Amino acid sequence: MASTWFSAPAPVARRVRAYFAPVNRPAQTPVLFDPAEEGSFNLDAPPAPWISLGWIQNFARKPASKSSALMTGIPASPLAQIRETLEAQLSLEFLSWTKLTMALATGSQHMNVLASASGAAAAGAGAQGVTAVTPQAGSTATFIALATQDAAQFSAGALVAVDVDYSGQTGYVGSPVAGAYARQSITDVDYIRRVTFNIGMVTQVSSAGLTLAEPLPGGAPAPGAKVQMVAGFVDREGGSFYQEWSGLFVMEGAQGERVIFYYPRLQPMSGAEEAVLPLDAKHKNGQSRVLLKGQFLAMPITDALDGERVVCYRTFLPAANALV
Amino acid sequence: MQNAKDSFYMALRTRLMTINPERTILLRGAVRPGILVEEAEASFSQIPPDVYVLRWVALGTDLDLPATMAAEQCEIQYATCGTQSFGGLDRGRALSSMDEEVLAMLQPFSTPKMNYQATPPAQFLTNVFWDEPVFSPAVAQRDRLSRAATLMVYSYQEQGE
Repeated sequence: MASTWFSAPAPVARRVRAYFAPVNRPAQTPVLFDPAEEGSFNLDAPPAPWISLGWIQNFARKPASKSSALMTGIPASPLAQIRETLEAQLSLEFLSWTKLTMALATGSQHMNVLASASGAAAAGAGAQGVTAVTPQAGSTATFIALATQDAAQFSAGALVAVDVDYSGQTGYVGSPVAGAYARQSITDVDYIRRVTFNIGMVTQVSSAGLTLAEPLPGGAPAPGAKVQMVAGFVDREGGSFYQEWSGLFVMEGAQGERVIFYYPRLQPMSGAEEAVLPLDAKHKNGQSRVLLKGQFLAMPITDALDGERVVCYRTFLPAANALV
Repeated sequence: MQNAKDSFYMALRTRLMTINPERTILLRGAVRPGILVEEAEASFSQIPPDVYVLRWVALGTDLDLPATMAAEQCEIQYATCGTQSFGGLDRGRALSSMDEEVLAMLQPFSTPKMNYQATPPAQFLTNVFWDEPVFSPAVAQRDRLSRAATLMVYSYQEQGE
């Protein structure tokens, strides 16, 4: 009976969990994941700034790097191998529709549909929004202090976007996630709130302000930020902006082992696409679940360890007492 | 393999005590959590109501691994007539409650494998793990509703088993 090790078969995992974190686009800095310090993290409470996107399915990795042989001699025979290209692709299906999963599953910028002002002209990405209101002192990540008349414009259950006015700047815009790249100056003062990821859901409205269900991703409203009601989300097929995220995928084995795939830089490589899955396999024309389908291209980073250019790290944390 | 069956049963029993401590059964003079293993009790013609009965059915093995894997099919059978205070009219609700308890008992989907023949019980090195259950249609017999949840329970054979 007494034994101190066992020969572990291949990991058996039920599902894959996905976590994403925004790449700092202006600084071109991905989010690092350290398997030594963070590998055993609680899957329900990932280390900051990783955001859990829950379970995913049909997770498929496709290494697309190409190697070829350097031939020499007569007859030619391989002398060495060289890596001609470095590329990897990734595809998966999200099991929920959220602001972030929608954004990751589209090939361009993802926008908030602002609640429209009365009589505003129609537009494909949503009409001109209602006038944004200014948070007051005392706001936090979960509470937006507002003047009484401003708070009265909102109701519990509403979605709000919190970010600064667009004032003609070019380059990456949006905080804490670069939601778009303004190539030229545009006229929409609400543009940054259209593309921002700094959104929240209102759970309670009082004369003092709005209580949010979860903390705003960007923390307490920044100076100059304004609040605007959001009706929904929209993305477009086309455009020139590519989002970029760091991705982390975890398979937890039945024996407690973990396989972790860390992609420092992922960019969506296809347009918005859905997968339809009938809830009842015997009734294919009945109710179906509509899944967001994401396909990503892994971009390289230079590993500071040895200067090698890599696109992905695969970590295996064995089960306790497993023979390796 | 017996250790895996024992570990699975004890895990569910322990979880049931937390999920619904009021679900108990008086068996052989002792009040126990309302879950039992059919093959470890005196045979009965009909499963007792409002408790869970584990029935071990099929067995499969995979010998082509570093450690032999056993896959044992388990049926969790349960039935209810509802409560006397409602004249049995709440038997559908009672069955739904038992469905929810089954789901709750099965999560998380693994538990350490233990040797309950030892005193105190000794822990092996691996876990016993299982799939999501497949629920059968409810069967109505007069005022009695019953159902079975079927799942596969997996384990690895270790040295000393």
